[in-house]
Amino acid sequence: MSNQKKRNFQIEAFKHRVVVDPKYADKTWQILERAIHQIYNQDASGLSFEELYRNAYNMVLHKFGEKLYTGFIATMTGHLKEKAKMVESAQGGAFLEELNNKWNEHNKALEMIRDILMYMDRTYIESSKKPHVHPMGLILWKDNVVHSPKIDKRLLNTLLDLVHKERVGEVIDRGLVRNVTKMFMDLGEAVYQEDFEKPFLEASSEFYKVESQQFIQACDCGDYLKKAEKRLTEEIDRVGHYLDGKSEAKITSVVEREMIANHMHRLVHMENSGLVNMLLNDNYEDLGRMYNLFRRVTNGLATVRDVMTSHLREMGKQLVTDPEKSKDPVEFVQRLLDERDKYDKIITTAFGNDKTFQNALNSSFEYFINLNARSPEFISLFVDDKLRKGLKGIADVDVEVILDKVMMLFRYLQEKDVFEKYYKQHVAKRLLSGKTVSDDAERSLIVKLKTECGYQFTSKLEGMFTDMKTSEDTMRGFYNSHPELSEGPTLIVQVLTTGSWPTQPAVLCNLPAEVSVLCEKFRSYYLGTHTGRRLSWQTNMGTADIKAVFGKGQKHELNVSTFQMCVLMLFNNSDRLSYKEIEQATEIPAPELKRCLQSLACVKGKNVIKKEPMSKDIGEDDLFVVNDKFTSKFYKVKIGTVVAQKETEPEKQETRQRVEEDRKPQIEAAIVRIMKSRKILDHNNIIAEVTKQLQPRFLANPTEIKKRIESLIERDFLERDNTDRKLYRYLA
Amino acid sequence: MGNSKDRIKLNVGGRIFETTSTTLANAGRDSFFGALFDDEWNLSPPKEDLFIDRNPDCFAVLLDLLRTGDLNVPANIPERLLHREASFYGLLHHVRTSKWGPFDGNRLRLSDSVKGIAPGDGTAVRAGPDGGCCVAHGSVVHVFDWMLEEHCPINLDYQRVNDVGWIDSDNIVLSACEKLGRGDGGMGLFSSSTGDLRYKFQVCHENQVKSYTAGALSFNQDYKIFSSCKGRSNEYGIGVWDQITGKQTDFFYESPGWSLGDADKLQWLNGMNCLLVATLFPRKDNCYISLLDFRDKNMVWSWSDIGSPMAIDEKRVRDAIAMEDSNSICVVNEFEDLGFIDLRMYGGSVRWSSRSRLMKSKMPDEPCYPKLALHEGQLFSSMNDSISVFCGPDWVLTSRLRRSYGGSICDFSIGGDRLFALHSEENVFDVWETPPSPII
Repeated sequence: MSNQKKRNFQIEAFKHRVVVDPKYADKTWQILERAIHQIYNQDASGLSFEELYRNAYNMVLHKFGEKLYTGFIATMTGHLKEKAKMVESAQGGAFLEELNNKWNEHNKALEMIRDILMYMDRTYIESSKKPHVHPMGLILWKDNVVHSPKIDKRLLNTLLDLVHKERVGEVIDRGLVRNVTKMFMDLGEAVYQEDFEKPFLEASSEFYKVESQQFIQACDCGDYLKKAEKRLTEEIDRVGHYLDGKSEAKITSVVEREMIANHMHRLVHMENSGLVNMLLNDNYEDLGRMYNLFRRVTNGLATVRDVMTSHLREMGKQLVTDPEKSKDPVEFVQRLLDERDKYDKIITTAFGNDKTFQNALNSSFEYFINLNARSPEFISLFVDDKLRKGLKGIADVDVEVILDKVMMLFRYLQEKDVFEKYYKQHVAKRLLSGKTVSDDAERSLIVKLKTECGYQFTSKLEGMFTDMKTSEDTMRGFYNSHPELSEGPTLIVQVLTTGSWPTQPAVLCNLPAEVSVLCEKFRSYYLGTHTGRRLSWQTNMGTADIKAVFGKGQKHELNVSTFQMCVLMLFNNSDRLSYKEIEQATEIPAPELKRCLQSLACVKGKNVIKKEPMSKDIGEDDLFVVNDKFTSKFYKVKIGTVVAQKETEPEKQETRQRVEEDRKPQIEAAIVRIMKSRKILDHNNIIAEVTKQLQPRFLANPTEIKKRIESLIERDFLERDNTDRKLYRYLA
Repeated sequence: MGNSKDRIKLNVGGRIFETTSTTLANAGRDSFFGALFDDEWNLSPPKEDLFIDRNPDCFAVLLDLLRTGDLNVPANIPERLLHREASFYGLLHHVRTSKWGPFDGNRLRLSDSVKGIAPGDGTAVRAGPDGGCCVAHGSVVHVFDWMLEEHCPINLDYQRVNDVGWIDSDNIVLSACEKLGRGDGGMGLFSSSTGDLRYKFQVCHENQVKSYTAGALSFNQDYKIFSSCKGRSNEYGIGVWDQITGKQTDFFYESPGWSLGDADKLQWLNGMNCLLVATLFPRKDNCYISLLDFRDKNMVWSWSDIGSPMAIDEKRVRDAIAMEDSNSICVVNEFEDLGFIDLRMYGGSVRWSSRSRLMKSKMPDEPCYPKLALHEGQLFSSMNDSISVFCGPDWVLTSRLRRSYGGSICDFSIGGDRLFALHSEENVFDVWETPPSPII
């Protein structure tokens, strides 16, 4: 007894903070703990928030924050372990359902617990840098439920199984799956990715690997693409329904890789159904699908493009090199245009008007059009044909369309100057023979060429049109000053400026006296009004309309060439003439004369004179008489000259030579222009620059450029560098 | 009138209050009232009125705050009690934001003066982001929250403090002199609420940890800390640390004939992405101001008064501040003349706008060097016992803050919509605030 009393007298150390009841903290915590139990057991209706909040507040205030915090974690952990057991024991389909229910319960409870512990959340946790109540609740759920050994794998497999079921066509409870994936997302992006997304992508990859293998063995390319497209939309749909939006890019890239990228080449080259087949059959739908799917994978479009390009080149090469197909220039060009239209349509409708595909198309055409050296001529002939007759009855708008298409082909040509040469010849013929259908169309094409190749390219062509116009005025002036000429034959002269027109050797002939008198009058009129000019007659290019009366009085008007007129006029004075006599009287060169006689005597239905002996060819000893029995349904009879539509081999050579000749000054001009600005340049660079500068007109031949350089050196425009022979120097 | 369902009767500490749930909803979900009226907690309807075991007088004040947004504290309620109650309800933030308005240098009112017990002159005062501040005196930094309640003072091995700065409302960086041979001093990160040292920053030179003296501090929004550093073997320069990892990420060594390691002032320039470093008289005989670009370790701009004619000796630069909006650096001399240097020109000179030479005659006994601060287009300059406010493109003097008590102002700082002015005598600092916006 006394011992105990003594101890009671000991002075106790001063307590900084006096808590009334030493068991205060335990008691308060018990109240809170009981409340947490009740909240988890969904029995919170009897709880007073005010009281619980005040208790938690007091605990923190009295420095029991740590106790409160660890207590809350321990209590919650206990509950979550129980919940995990209940989830584990759920069988089959109820498993996910149970997990989702428990998750919802936990969320609700967590919210309420956080409310009670709000003051701790704000003060104690804030300053002690611990996880706040809500994130802590999520961490505890993740550790005790989601990652519990009996749930972890089972949960993942259940989810993957459901996805698989849906892929093979079963209906699943999407809402439930969405809730569970949402849970993963709530637990944090890392949890969603690690625990669900990654395995999901792996399983998907495996699934599509197998499926694509089956498809590719069983289906043709079109069907395969349809299936791939369907799978892709299904997956995007799936993301929308129950996955995180960020998964879309990942899962689509899995499908793209497994279904498209890995089988790309096999699909494109698939026999009887691959890309080439689709192109040949204009299968826009499948092509569009292929484009849209392949666009999603690296090198996808490049693969499609490469196959299309090589197909185009092969096809084009056959088209332009087949001698059978280049017989008729108009058909030849028409075929090119048709092919271009076909592919243009494929690109616009199926390939989304993709610029890279347009470029591939253009480069392919450029490649094969230039394989045939006659392409420039043929294109010009095509235009000639269209402008002579083809455009009749076609609306202006359509004319423009055709001309635009022709211009497209023109752009592909490397040797634009060759085209120009031919085009000039053809225009000249059209103008002089008055065969042009539409002046507007002619001019429109010239404008197009001008915008394409510049003023130089078309100045001569325009000169030709100007000549035609001035000639009309000149004729009017001539007849106004010679009113007496209204009687007798009419002479229409077209004065052509030398240089503007394709030069042809002037073939002279003896004109009939009536005509020759008129010609002289015109010459004196023309030279009288224009000083310093020279006129020479191009009788080979003229035409004449003459009236003829045959044996039984048949009257006809014959449309003939000037040469033919000369021949026919001879028969006004004699009934019978020999070849030699005709040749002497007209002085027409033999080949021309022969051609002219052939067309007068040998063409069925147009044979206004008869030949003895009857044969196809003209001999030097033949005799000619007027064909008195000539008849024709028409009053006007057009006697054509046998003209070669396409150029003959020697003519072609000649044109070629003329083109080469014309290129020389152009190459020289380019060299001088370049050297003038660069002063010093080495051989390779000069070749490169000249080629580049002349590209719009033609592809300059390096040996030719070299020759021109040498010629310029001879003429002291350039000199070689003394030390480095490869360098050229410009001499001012 | 009104919806009777909306009406709420509360019994707070025995007094009945009637209000509406709409008024209490102003407290926000993360408050006592937010949780109290959550559906989860009201499964059974309240019997009659809700009892809350708190002080009714304070509740009346806080209820008015929720009703009107204005805080009116009767004289009989101590501030501390009110803050305690606000903290219980989760309304502290409401109280803070209603106490003072957005900062405007031309509308400031002196709201408080806090006296301390520290000996000697103050070194620096730094405003925290949420209205608190810290004051360095010798080797100790006193930390005050926005309620101006003092928390545990902080120190780094009780070495002399050169500068302090707030990284956020709970983290303060302190730079101190090194203690030779002991590895003491340097730079540390402290908790503002508990005063605990959380992290000590180290400097490495050639992979060797060295002790150092940390001088002026600056932070940027890329979570970097800059400090001027002096090592023992001429390792002078500017060190850079990462706030998140705490590791040193860079060191800009001082070149011969220039000064970085002794710098008085560092200022991070957001737009130009570089750091202003200023070493000023009298720490060195000459003034050196430079802009450092750490991306390519380049001094992109510099200015010094070396070789300036002695005739303008009286115009020594005492503080400098970069003003990015006007592409210039503002400097001040001991007579509070403002000067400007163009940042776009290399090697330009100071364009002084000599305003007041009158000051010269009435210099106080213990003068303080002027300091500069910039806040949203307003320029502040402290001189003796007052702070001048300049506005507009030509920096016109618009206001002057003065209080005769405590002697000259040795440092001042703006932050958390408050201005703190530290006086050289009596260990006192003033708190200037913009009053809440008028009722109409």
